Amino acid sequence: MNDNIVSYVLSLFDTAPTPLLVFLIFGVAIFILVNVMALIGGLGTYAERKISADIQMRQGPNRVGPYGILQFLADGVKMITKEDIIPSESNKFLFTIAPILCLSGVLATLAVIPISSGFILTDLNVGVFYLLGVSSLVGVGIFLGGYASNSKWSMLGGMRGASQIISYEVPVTISILTIVLLAGSLSFKELISGQGGYPWTWYVFHNPFTFVSFFIYFVSALAETNRAPFDLPEAESELVSGYHTEYSGMRFGFFALAEYIEVFVVCGVAVALFLGGYKVPFGLGGDTIFGQFFQIGSFFTKTFLLYYVVIWVRWTLPRLRVDQLMSICWKYLTPIALFNLVGTATWIWLFENKSMVELLMSALSGSGSTGH
Amino acid sequence: MFDSFLFYLSAFLTCFGAVLVVLERNLMHACIYLLMSLIGTAGLYFTLGADFLAATQLVVYVGGVVILMLFAIMLTGGGLENKKDRLANLLSYIPPMGSLKSYIWGSITAVAFLSFSINITTKLVKSTEINGSIKIGPTVEQIGVKLLTDHVLMFELSSVLLLGALIGTAIISRPSKEIFLERK
Repeated sequence: MNDNIVSYVLSLFDTAPTPLLVFLIFGVAIFILVNVMALIGGLGTYAERKISADIQMRQGPNRVGPYGILQFLADGVKMITKEDIIPSESNKFLFTIAPILCLSGVLATLAVIPISSGFILTDLNVGVFYLLGVSSLVGVGIFLGGYASNSKWSMLGGMRGASQIISYEVPVTISILTIVLLAGSLSFKELISGQGGYPWTWYVFHNPFTFVSFFIYFVSALAETNRAPFDLPEAESELVSGYHTEYSGMRFGFFALAEYIEVFVVCGVAVALFLGGYKVPFGLGGDTIFGQFFQIGSFFTKTFLLYYVVIWVRWTLPRLRVDQLMSICWKYLTPIALFNLVGTATWIWLFENKSMVELLMSALSGSGSTGH
Repeated sequence: MFDSFLFYLSAFLTCFGAVLVVLERNLMHACIYLLMSLIGTAGLYFTLGADFLAATQLVVYVGGVVILMLFAIMLTGGGLENKKDRLANLLSYIPPMGSLKSYIWGSITAVAFLSFSINITTKLVKSTEINGSIKIGPTVEQIGVKLLTDHVLMFELSSVLLLGALIGTAIISRPSKEIFLERK
């Protein structure tokens, strides 16, 4: 068994793994994780509306509960109780299966998200690669949703979504590859263990190339999750609301939930790869159970900061045109990402995998000793 | 126990999906069943310890090939025909064999032939019992080293093939000369 939540919990209580116990621990962990993610998805809609209101100098939702924070519950109840309409001319089988594909693709990525050194469902040897593979199910779901609705708007949205997701997978993968080069592994725990708790030990500030590739990853990830300024698949001013125009009730809810959870997952991956993951400064708490809580706090704080940036970007920048979208991906992001990859490899070869700060410190101490 | 359960689940997904692909008349649905079968195959790789292969299967087939197939079917209008219901579909696949006697003879022959061939093949295939949980070792490094040492010629040849495909696509999708001049 690899390092995961089961082995951590078992080491806490010092017991041997029996199949039933493993199953129970996995069950409880998955139950907690999925519910927390659903909560994050729900609160994401609330945060989106509140932050957009703040940016546009409005109030935002403020009726349900204190500061309107229970608005997402009201929305959820509304969605569940709404009539579930399937258009009579649609392809019923595909129409039903599309939101499920979307949500299951996103939820499957949660298996490798490293929330703390103990709370990771499974630490696969090919964690990042698995994540890329599973999240491509979302593209199939979006395309099918557009196709099955048998409506022009949905169709256009679905086609745009599929082509956009396929295109932007290239810069995402290449910029992840630069970090994989540095860490020498595809498993999330190995990737994080190469970094420390302080900002200057993170991989973003390892060398200039990773600094650029963080931004490339972030921009491409925005496009992969269909967030503004790349939300062409659901551009409401041109396509009504894109691939989920014909969906109502909980099926629409699945699409919305999938989008918000995917944003969280993408931010979590950015944190794990570039921003030190769950590492805590000073190693607070160590390996004890309190240390786990500190690590969870560290991971969630960074992820929510990035989440805020994603929402902030959405309500600040205007939407791109389709041709601009494609030219940004293929003419700018992909070549720069490739250059970064080669640059990082050269850096590793030249400076023996030392970071900028390490080089600077050694240079300073070297000159200091000669000065004395 | 859990591992073998997952193995059988993936095997079931693979076989059931494959059968449905053949039985389905609507191409779009068949594509979804193919997706199910391919995910099942990835599950088989995972449970047998080939984790890199499994992830590659997901990236290549789920993310690339199936979406490409869906696009192709959509653009050629293949999913729009054959609106018969499923039961009629299934019945139409049973060949008209005449009388009850021919059915019985046919099924007896099939059972005899199958049991005979299974008897032979099971002796040929070596079976090893797996004790306990399957150990998943790192396969990424081994695959990488093998690709760049022993199989480097194949690796280069496939990259040439991909380059050829890329150039071909660029030539096909480029607007013809007259249109290009008109635009200018």
